[in-house]
Amino acid sequence: MRAFSNANPKSIRDAVSMLGQAHQQGRSASIVGGGSDLLGMVKEHLVAPDVLVNLKAIRGMDQIEAQRGGFKIGGLITLDNLSRDQRIRKEYTVLAEAAEKVGTPQIRNAGTLAGNVCQRPWCWYFRNGFPCLKNGGKICFSASGENQLHAIFGGGPSYIVHPSDTAPALVALDAQFHIAGPSGERVLPASEFFQLPRVDVARENVLAKDEVLSAIQLPAAKSGTRSIYHKVLDREAWTHAVVSAAIVLEMDQQICRGARIVLGGVAPIPWRLPKVEAMLVGQRITPELAAQAGEAAVEGAHPLAKNKYKVPLTKAVVKRTILSLNA
Amino acid sequence: MNTLKTVGHPASRVDALQRVTGKATYTGDLHLTGMLYARVLRSPHPHARIRSIDASKALALPGVKAVLTHENCDVIWGSGDTKNKRYLFNNPVRFAGDAVAAVAAIDRHVAEDAIRLIDVDYEVLPFVLDPEEALKPGAVEIQPGGNLSPNNKGEQKPEAYGHGNVEKGLSEADQVFEDHYSSVHLNNAQLEIRVSIAQWEGEKLTVYASTQGISMCRIELAHDLKIPLENVRVVCKYMGGGFGNKNQVHDFDLMAAMLAKKAGAPVKLEFTRKEDYVAVHGRWPTKQYYKVGVKRDGTLTAIQFRGYSGMGPYRKSSGDIAGVEMYQCPNVEKLVYPVLTNMAVSANFRGPAYPQGVFGIESLMDHIAYELKMDPIDFRLKNMTRKYHDELPYTSFGLEDCVARGAEAFEWKKRWHAPGAGDGPVKRGVGMAMGAFGAAVGRSSAVIHVNSKGEYELHVGVTDVGTAAKTTMALIAAEELGVPLAKVAVVSGDTEVCPYSVGESGSRTTTHTGYAVVHAVKDLKQQIADKGMPVGDGIRTGSATPDPAQPKDSARYSFAAHFAEVEVDTELGHARVVKYLAAHDSGRIINPLTCTSQVMGGSTQGIGMALHEELLYDPTHGVPLNAGYYGARVMTHLDTPEIGVLFVETEDQFGPFGAKSIGESSIIPSVGAVANAIFNATGKRIKDLPITREKLLGVLA
Repeated sequence: MRAFSNANPKSIRDAVSMLGQAHQQGRSASIVGGGSDLLGMVKEHLVAPDVLVNLKAIRGMDQIEAQRGGFKIGGLITLDNLSRDQRIRKEYTVLAEAAEKVGTPQIRNAGTLAGNVCQRPWCWYFRNGFPCLKNGGKICFSASGENQLHAIFGGGPSYIVHPSDTAPALVALDAQFHIAGPSGERVLPASEFFQLPRVDVARENVLAKDEVLSAIQLPAAKSGTRSIYHKVLDREAWTHAVVSAAIVLEMDQQICRGARIVLGGVAPIPWRLPKVEAMLVGQRITPELAAQAGEAAVEGAHPLAKNKYKVPLTKAVVKRTILSLNA
Repeated sequence: MNTLKTVGHPASRVDALQRVTGKATYTGDLHLTGMLYARVLRSPHPHARIRSIDASKALALPGVKAVLTHENCDVIWGSGDTKNKRYLFNNPVRFAGDAVAAVAAIDRHVAEDAIRLIDVDYEVLPFVLDPEEALKPGAVEIQPGGNLSPNNKGEQKPEAYGHGNVEKGLSEADQVFEDHYSSVHLNNAQLEIRVSIAQWEGEKLTVYASTQGISMCRIELAHDLKIPLENVRVVCKYMGGGFGNKNQVHDFDLMAAMLAKKAGAPVKLEFTRKEDYVAVHGRWPTKQYYKVGVKRDGTLTAIQFRGYSGMGPYRKSSGDIAGVEMYQCPNVEKLVYPVLTNMAVSANFRGPAYPQGVFGIESLMDHIAYELKMDPIDFRLKNMTRKYHDELPYTSFGLEDCVARGAEAFEWKKRWHAPGAGDGPVKRGVGMAMGAFGAAVGRSSAVIHVNSKGEYELHVGVTDVGTAAKTTMALIAAEELGVPLAKVAVVSGDTEVCPYSVGESGSRTTTHTGYAVVHAVKDLKQQIADKGMPVGDGIRTGSATPDPAQPKDSARYSFAAHFAEVEVDTELGHARVVKYLAAHDSGRIINPLTCTSQVMGGSTQGIGMALHEELLYDPTHGVPLNAGYYGARVMTHLDTPEIGVLFVETEDQFGPFGAKSIGESSIIPSVGAVANAIFNATGKRIKDLPITREKLLGVLA
């Protein structure tokens, strides 16, 4: 592992200024939350930071506070604490369930919400140090290689899938991301935080090098809201989603008044399905409608040579997850 | 079967407390004064000639004490290749992960920095991963003489076995079934990563190893380093598993010894998990082609088999594909081609030749039973082996009981149904498969002391690789002595104080060393009978090195039948084992508690092999993509069903108290049982392992 120095800022402002300082000095810096993935990447020489800016000494950044009718969640909250919070579990079920499905108990005990949202891809070419687009190279090896686990939507020039479980849930909940930077804070809807490789192939989100994802604001839960996260794994634990669905429905009696459907494991960003959402609004959720939604969910899918199975899988996941919310 | 006092009763491990309290010292826990740390530089290419290698920058790094490359180290790793010379550092390098250099330095960080400072100029060569491709004309030659590794007669021909006349048998058949199956390379994935510590004191070498056999490790260290056996000591008090990839001496033990010699200080060589996956060895991938003739009533008339095993570039092990011998059939022809490829090396992994071969033959037999409209159980009962190769009687035979009693305990008749039956997307199905594994007896040693207080100390050269061998040895001694287990202390895992032992391979520790324990105790009892118990600070010592053999015209085998029920979600392509029963004939069970654990562990590995596990290669670059527990989808606790274990104890006149083998037979039928259950659930047969979601949805969606 390459040697690095470690900085322990006491406030988010200090963290931001340390990041800025490092970059001005031409030193590379990485932000550490739980460190469960970053340290592995350092050991594998996938990143070689000169400075680690460790956020764990910042007080209060791991709390959930009731705010503006909803909740503001500090980016440093562990996935385990998030998944166990009764307020979240009750009103934002999809997020608690997504957090609960990440990795293993050890990873959830150390890993943080912001870290999970900002996690780098798990494409095996990237992780094995191939000179791929994500590693600063010129081609995406998965495009014509082993692409069983890769994108069927939104791919090109890189075909990674976004690895986060909580990210689709946050997009489905219409969360707001609080980003601390040198000139203060900016707030973005979750859906604008993530970006496709065709926009910037080096990064999966809009965070600048001197910015920190400090907190996530959940809006007030509307009455009649039901939500769920369904994750399909290649074994019963400790894999990223092959396909997942985060679905939030507002139900009025038997009628759907609002829907947000976001997929994980299928695209380089959490993949929202506005057309499918529109199909559900104003309708009674029936098995037939759910099946139609499943069909519509894969419209425009561009599977690669070895991930064609993700198409029928996505159909089934969308259909079943919608139906299970109606049960 | 008569009941014994100690043997046959569940006993906790004699070292359980040390293990669960962290007091047990594994090799990785050891620290010697002045010890250096070593790291290995590995080839990124599947096949390349090293034009030049320049370690001067590494050597100039403060803290670096020794660097080894093929230029300054010509040690041949004898057991690393049984056919060709395999050096510790080879040129050309023949697989991605082949060792190029090793560095010893004052700490891990310096060692890691140093290997990155070694400049290697590679001339990249063509490579081949697939064993059938490797045999085609024009394929790159990986070793001199060609890619078909010689058979046991030294000929450039496949290993061949046969009896009867297959052509005649096929012509007599009412129906001939022809099919092919394949399996992939997967890693042993043992918990403990490689580590070796070597220390020289003058001419004397001590290696603290993580080995499945201190005696063999010692013998081969002496052989490969060309030093007298008495100058080598091997210690392995506790070890964390190997499943066959820690047999004998390994290149890392030899590298640690050579680095320690060069640096003049003890050296600890450690692997990462990823290195462990790519640089040691895993199970050999196979391509299997079968032709089976059968009469309308289900009688087999011929079995013709041709198989290809991908051995990687070094022939460490047999490459056999076993399973055909589980059936009685008058006409059998078997050809196995062990083929050199540029994949990671393949060699022993729990029942080396079996789970993949049994998957093939048991899938096909299951299919034949289905086509003939026979219950798979009846088909097995009709056709199972009764004599080894239709010729040699077994010393004891419990296969029929494993199948029949296992089926009853599993409620087979109630659960088995027409394949693919049932409405709805989630389908259940059951499957079964048989297994057989050798339980030979043979030479090993034991020494036992008693003091005047009636305390016994048993010295055996075993290492407990997870099987509870120390406990097994103590139980056998206590039984033969007629004393409580607590009166017997076991000293093991150190060649300085333990006699030769056969090593933890081939499921032989109980049958070989356990038998030696019986005879050492008999020797001691005779002395006590002759001269009385020792008095004061005296001791008496019994010892034995029996070299038993069963009659030449017999075969000694353990048998098994496994039964699996799976649930397949046909829309999600998700398969999950929901019920499992393993019936085993291992003769007398010495310790039902740990023997049950063996069966559970083997079954679990087999389920993983059936459903997820694979070391996946990028075909264009010839490098593995998913090395490690995360990527290779090793089983987790959540993937493991409740596993029922049924022992069918047969009387056998050989081995300690009639014990046969268990460690490896436990994995053998599992893959086939799960695969057949998936067929029963879905009506679709997947013929290529692992049976992943991608493949299931490919045939179901």
